[in-house]
Amino acid sequence: MKRFAARILGPGALAFPTWAYVVFFFVIPVALVLWYSFGYKPDEFTTVSMEQLSFDRYSEALTSSSLATFLATLRISIVGTIICLLISIPFAYWLAVKVRPERRGLLLALVMVPFWTNFLVRTLGWQIMLSNEGFVSKTLQAIGLSDGGLDILYTRTAVQIGVVYNYLPLMILPLFVAMDAAGRHLREASYDLGAGPWKTFFTVTLPLAMPGVVSGCLLVFIPLNGDYVTATVLGGASGSMAGQLIANQFNTAQNWALGAAMAVILMLATLIVVALGGLLLWALRSLMERLNSVRITPPEPAVSEGSRA
Amino acid sequence: MRRQTRDLGFTLWGVLVFIYLFAPIAVIVAYSFNTGRILASWQGFGFDAYISGINNDVIVSSVITSLQAAVGSALLATVLGTLGGIALARARLGTWWALGLTGLLATTLVTPEIVDGISFLPWFVTLGVDADLTWFNNGLVRLIVSHAMFSVAVVTFIVRARMAGVDTSLQEASADLGATPWTTFRRVTLPIAAPGVMAGALMSFTLSLDNTILSSFVQQPGYTPWPVYIFSAVRVALRPEVAAISTVMLLLTLLALALVGLVLRRSGESSTDIVKTIVR
Amino acid sequence: MAERDHRVRFLAPRSEAPRIRRQLLSAAGPSRRAFLTGVGLAGLAGLSACGQTGRMASSPPADGEIEAKLNLYSWGDYDDPEIISEFSDTAGVRVQVDSYGSNDELMAKLAGTRGTSGYDIVVPTGSRVQQMIEHDLIQPLDLTRIPNFANMDPNFTHQEFDPENRYSICKAWGTTGYVYDRTVIDRELTSWQDFIDAAGKEASGSTAILEDPWELTAIALASMGEDVNTVDEAILEKAKTIVVDDIAPHVRAYMGNAAQGMTQGGLSLLHAFNGDARQGLLESDDPDRWQFVFPTPVANLWMDNWCLATGAPHPDAAYAFINHMISPDAALRNVDYIGYHVGTQGLKEEAADFDFPDIIFPEQEILDRLVPSEEGAGIQPRVEIYTAAQTRSSA
Repeated sequence: MKRFAARILGPGALAFPTWAYVVFFFVIPVALVLWYSFGYKPDEFTTVSMEQLSFDRYSEALTSSSLATFLATLRISIVGTIICLLISIPFAYWLAVKVRPERRGLLLALVMVPFWTNFLVRTLGWQIMLSNEGFVSKTLQAIGLSDGGLDILYTRTAVQIGVVYNYLPLMILPLFVAMDAAGRHLREASYDLGAGPWKTFFTVTLPLAMPGVVSGCLLVFIPLNGDYVTATVLGGASGSMAGQLIANQFNTAQNWALGAAMAVILMLATLIVVALGGLLLWALRSLMERLNSVRITPPEPAVSEGSRA
Repeated sequence: MRRQTRDLGFTLWGVLVFIYLFAPIAVIVAYSFNTGRILASWQGFGFDAYISGINNDVIVSSVITSLQAAVGSALLATVLGTLGGIALARARLGTWWALGLTGLLATTLVTPEIVDGISFLPWFVTLGVDADLTWFNNGLVRLIVSHAMFSVAVVTFIVRARMAGVDTSLQEASADLGATPWTTFRRVTLPIAAPGVMAGALMSFTLSLDNTILSSFVQQPGYTPWPVYIFSAVRVALRPEVAAISTVMLLLTLLALALVGLVLRRSGESSTDIVKTIVR
Repeated sequence: MAERDHRVRFLAPRSEAPRIRRQLLSAAGPSRRAFLTGVGLAGLAGLSACGQTGRMASSPPADGEIEAKLNLYSWGDYDDPEIISEFSDTAGVRVQVDSYGSNDELMAKLAGTRGTSGYDIVVPTGSRVQQMIEHDLIQPLDLTRIPNFANMDPNFTHQEFDPENRYSICKAWGTTGYVYDRTVIDRELTSWQDFIDAAGKEASGSTAILEDPWELTAIALASMGEDVNTVDEAILEKAKTIVVDDIAPHVRAYMGNAAQGMTQGGLSLLHAFNGDARQGLLESDDPDRWQFVFPTPVANLWMDNWCLATGAPHPDAAYAFINHMISPDAALRNVDYIGYHVGTQGLKEEAADFDFPDIIFPEQEILDRLVPSEEGAGIQPRVEIYTAAQTRSSA
């Protein structure tokens, strides 16, 4: 009886509700939409027909014009992720190492605050700041830093600023945790062994913070790639992102087949970039290891050499 | 000396980042006192926006809808995610259901939100109209179910991370001492998972409160969440009321954070630990 | 062709039946299944076994008892909030207003939710009313419950798209033109040709275009002197060249409402509906800077209409609301707020002291050259032109 109960409450059964939920509310509906990507739009009143299956929508979605938008989106997200990383590394280091421990909690909470203010409201704050008639622009003009005022709103730069802003806390938090975990003792050991602050940072702190870097990049890159709200508010005609292209196909053009194909391409592109990034990281890491590792030759280089591998 | 300049540099950088993080929020707070009709064109200082915002039934009910959906979906996602997380942490390496679940949950995370939105609407309609499960026609149910879907993965992964390092012998000991599996689960497993569960609940609450794209697809009138209200206002002329209500919500959030901080200090957990649990 | 034997059930007025049947059969090609998947109903045919896919949730009958709620789905900022709150207070109805940016969005929402959208009143443009009736997205109105219908100006009732006002009542009508910043464009613009010219010169990189495929294409067609509703492929191809090469590269933003663009700055030439442009002028610090143009040779004459959504949960409140909005007093104040003629009687005389009346009430000679848009077979190529333009602008 007890065994039976244990089986029922065993890990597999525990996972059952989650499984069922995910299958019923994610796999089925999403698979349906993805299935549409093999269909076509037969006429203006019909969103999709599945009578002839083909890959034509994929080639349509990859025509030069929309391909340009896909590439622009990838550029915005990759550049955005890198900028987030560059801003966050010194910041997280400061927070984890330089700031007094009793203040850390407060500052960390402050990093979270923007995260708790609505995404759109924050973006609207940027819209006001970047606008040509806004106060920032007028101040710049007044102190003579700029002649015609700011000319950023409705450009790709505005989108870049907006997305970096919106996803920055998602990079800072994991980086902070990782750097914090790297620990004071190891850094001190490094200093004691004669390494300078730079060397300590690059050979001790940063490598130990690598898991944080990885999860931060994933947390920023993935949602950024599918974002279109920021681009809608700040982007205008030139800053459009793939998310908008997809939304247009479903909302305006009513071409579900093409929209679904574009969505699949976006997901694949996300995965490919993540995989490439992982590969790059792996290569970098093994290179670093080779460069930094100290080979300790065993005292008796005897017959056991071959079996060490 | 060099060390001091370097430290000063770091502090300066930290301050700059905080300015960057808070600049747009400060702008919104400042413009919430605009007496003009359009948010971005400043007319004069006053509390008009606060008064008309709080008296605007539609705005108030959208904020309430958002809170209801956030609480509901956080509860649902937390229950499902906790079960899933504990199960995954206990699973033997390479079990098919564990691999499958991890893969599926990871897929939910990489799926662009717009795809979720598009998929959900016809599915809810099929369930509600064709299968006569009429409660799927209710806007709040739609919001809760779809938001929970979005955050189940997050909760699951957080709880799994929390449980991963835990020795299974604790549970075995409990069983040896004669506890039923249910008692073990309640008295041993859950308390260990608690920080992860809390962090997950907090995360899913936030994600739901912030969700715009998915909500704009599944929302119904009468159940318009706050971000969707703003999103449709963006396309029209945006009024200072939006900024005013956001400011009120910001103050309430800060208050809640302070309270949480106080409680945590009492219970001996540091906020740093909570953040760590969230992002691990 | 065996598919034609299957029965498709429609709830439609008897008089509409022959036309619907004709549409069904003449669509030559799309089989029943393809048809059933109609706007937004996609793919569900495969899911529900019995082919009852087109089923719509139905509305409770109007019983004269006004419900406590009302859900309005309309274009953004299209009614004076004060009039709405007055109605809420006197009738005891909480009005929820949601907005959409295009007719497509409205139709996708209604079709996608099949009567469970929860909306009572929707405000489609006249050119779409026929389609919405065909797809059972709106239901017939009971005019006896809207006594103020007598207050409508006969010029704006009994329109071609709904000759008996069985489904729709004029909400507002207007036309399309553009507004430009005189400090940037220091010459007089009068035609669509001038618009394209200015977009390419002074206003390059600071031009805003309406988020509307028909309107965008009409700029090029009108400048060519062609019929703005043409379905001729060769002409549309030429229009596409103009749009993509002469307009799109200079566009800064595609937006639904010019008023916001005028106050934000950075834009000097904005494609605009007349009422929105007026609202922008009212908000502007320096209205003299802006000039609105009713361009030659032709422009859209559009009419948005009050309609009752299929499955509307609060029909009585909806009737009461429409009746209130077209009452003489509310109508007049709404004109001042939105800047469009709302189709009731005697407005022009009473509204003479409003700001910029000449933008609300175009002269007769302007009215004479306007043409209502038609969004039938020609809309697909226009959507393609629009998409191509957007892509070109972002390059």
